[in-house]
Amino acid sequence: MSAPTAPAGATGAAGIAPGVSAGRSAPAAPPALTPVFLRIKLSLLRNGLKGSSKRKAAYFSTLAFALVVGFFMTLGLALLHGNAHAGTVVVLLAGILALGWAFMPLFFPAGDETMDPSRLVMLPLRPRPLVRALLATSLVGIGPLFTLCLAVGSVAAVARGAAGAVAAVVAVPLLLLGCVTLARAVATANVRLLTSRKGRDLALLSGLVIAVGAQLANFASQSLFQAGGVTALEPVEAVVRWLPPATAVGMVDSVGEGAYGRAAAQLVLSVAAVAGLLWSWEGSLTKLMVTPDGSTIAASGPVKNRGVADGGFWSLMPGGRTGASMQRTLRYAVRDPKTKSAWVTALAIGVIVPVFNALQGTGSVYLGSFGAGMLGVQMYNQFGQDTSAFWMVAQTISSTRDAYVELRARAAALALVVLPYTVLVTAVTAALVDDWQAFPAGGGVALALVGSMLCTGALASARFPYSIPTDGAFKNVAPGQGGLAWGGIAAGMLMSALVSAPVIALTIWLNMAEHRHVSWIVLPVGVAWGWLAAWAGLRLAAPTVARKLPEILSAVSKG
Amino acid sequence: MPDQGDATGGTHGTDGARTAPSAVRVEGLWKRFGEQVAVAGIDLELPAGKFIGLVGPNGAGKTTTLSMVTGLLRPDMGRVVVAGHDVWADPTEVKARIGVLPEGLRLFERLSGRELLGYMGRLRGLAGDETDKRATQLLEILDLAGSQHKLVVDYSTGMRKKIGLAAALLHNPEVLFLDEPFEGVDPVSAQTIRGVLERYTSSGATVVFSSHVMELVESLCDWVAVMAAGRIRAAGPLADVRGSAPSLQAAFLELVGAHGRDAAGDSLDWLGGTSGTVAR
Repeated sequence: MSAPTAPAGATGAAGIAPGVSAGRSAPAAPPALTPVFLRIKLSLLRNGLKGSSKRKAAYFSTLAFALVVGFFMTLGLALLHGNAHAGTVVVLLAGILALGWAFMPLFFPAGDETMDPSRLVMLPLRPRPLVRALLATSLVGIGPLFTLCLAVGSVAAVARGAAGAVAAVVAVPLLLLGCVTLARAVATANVRLLTSRKGRDLALLSGLVIAVGAQLANFASQSLFQAGGVTALEPVEAVVRWLPPATAVGMVDSVGEGAYGRAAAQLVLSVAAVAGLLWSWEGSLTKLMVTPDGSTIAASGPVKNRGVADGGFWSLMPGGRTGASMQRTLRYAVRDPKTKSAWVTALAIGVIVPVFNALQGTGSVYLGSFGAGMLGVQMYNQFGQDTSAFWMVAQTISSTRDAYVELRARAAALALVVLPYTVLVTAVTAALVDDWQAFPAGGGVALALVGSMLCTGALASARFPYSIPTDGAFKNVAPGQGGLAWGGIAAGMLMSALVSAPVIALTIWLNMAEHRHVSWIVLPVGVAWGWLAAWAGLRLAAPTVARKLPEILSAVSKG
Repeated sequence: MPDQGDATGGTHGTDGARTAPSAVRVEGLWKRFGEQVAVAGIDLELPAGKFIGLVGPNGAGKTTTLSMVTGLLRPDMGRVVVAGHDVWADPTEVKARIGVLPEGLRLFERLSGRELLGYMGRLRGLAGDETDKRATQLLEILDLAGSQHKLVVDYSTGMRKKIGLAAALLHNPEVLFLDEPFEGVDPVSAQTIRGVLERYTSSGATVVFSSHVMELVESLCDWVAVMAAGRIRAAGPLADVRGSAPSLQAAFLELVGAHGRDAAGDSLDWLGGTSGTVAR
């Protein structure tokens, strides 16, 4: 930089600022922080793209995508101008936008180093200028640009008259600032969480948020079109209109309607919210930078006594390997972020699909099998879920019997959740579609499917093990093993369908041949068939596991 | 197969090795990873009841050898007999008799230290009460009692090595294999581990551990095997391997052919001191 003569002990920020001579004795004129931070942010952005053409391509395609989508959304929103529901749409959109900004940093830590207070701790910076500088850098990026597009479109949709135009000009920066400060305040308040192991675990759950969110959004939009459109949302909108930063958009709408008193109240709320968020951000930033960091906190914090649970639920488990493996499997479903993410996604989507379909009138008791299938996939790649810790299991398996008991315990742990869940989901679906006569048959088909998934899952675990990387929410297969993973799961699903085909065929026949009154027979048949399939699968998989322990270990240790 | 030359000669020529029954016998062990030969035909006999060090530079094949000896990696060729039983033909007998602490493989990190021991004990077929009793004592002696309810994922390196050691000792094995048990471990934990291992060998059990810290091996072991480039360069009681060299370190450098590199001419003569020319 341009101050090579600055002594090593000079302030870091001053050393970076060009044209400022930071003598040790006279640090009288501190440089303006905001341009320094903006330059750092731009440099980081530029350097991040340097060298990697893949990253460059990803960045620019995201930028192009955001611009195109932003442009069309702005256009679309502006075209809403004059529509009776325009106010409802834009106010709700602002609410969703704010919600997104608030939660994104928790699930997608963007790795913006200018934002990381722990990197600034050693620099002599005052809170107020720092917050200003950080706020300015927060406004640089694709996210804020996209938000700006939406804000402009939103106010254009509801602004009417000269007063409306003025209100719109005020509302755009208010909405943008509201979103950005909300994100920063939430992220800074939780920075200790975000930089800890728990925070990294949380980030791994983002896959779950997307999967479940997509399902919910899908059904929400469907039901919206069925339930008379936007009018159905007006009660929600009436509340959101008073929640900052959506109040900024609400204000423009109020001005357009001539309700100046309401508009003034909404303006005051918007400004107060931004001020309050800035204040709380500054507070947590100051606290962060002058109190001990996460490492010391963690060491002195109280340790949760995990031994307590031993007496309760776990004491019902069988002894020996069966109980130990079941316990570990279930504990991992709760404690391991990747496993938890997979389980919760399966449990949530397994409920969403049949229940929402039933609510929309397209439901069927047989959709209860959906969750059974989703959860059954968890039986696949059992040893990959262990990661390289599988060596501990491998060290204790010395016979086909050991391998069988190990697989059986894992299947049992899964069944302990899947069986009651499947019955419950089927019952709820039956109640919603009011088709209790088909309930036993629906349960029978679902349970037969669970059994065949356990069967093929055990076989796939033995024959097609692959590594699951522990980092990255969307990396579930180690490089080079994608074909193996997808091949194993696809072949397994097909096989499961084949294995449970007799039960499905029986159900179809009973329904076609007007024997619905005896369709309850599918329940015992399905249970027996599922149990038999699972047993046979475990039996067939066990010798392979016992024989191929070193090969399985090396296949699952690549992550 | 290449000739082992005089490498293993020391083993058979010593009194200790002749009288004691062998804990581990390795015959013609080979392992290739693609083009690279990791272990190039090892013959080795490790006496029972000793503290045995397997030393060698990084990449010598120590981890690969230990993985094959403990049944975690299938050799391309060769035979391994541990405590009188073939590792690959008779895994039931072998796995009950050995304890392992590998390097570079994870533990079940989402369990607490105590849960991990409880889990391993039950997988090993120990009764629940017995497992819990042993776990309590091991946690106590390894100085982990205070963090027994913390998840292993939050443990430090030293604590991980200690909980791994506890898991390896839980079923009271005859032979214990430890891959780099002191790597990245602080002095206090290292001393704790050392104490436990010394107590364990004094009861007649065998410890085989790999390391590249010669001082440690010299102070702990009474028997060493030196590995380099996938082969055994020397093996036998510590005194025999050290020979006339002033220290094991010196003997080791000689064996792996790294001697003389420290006096490599004048390539760094500008570094340090004040005699060198100063720029500007």
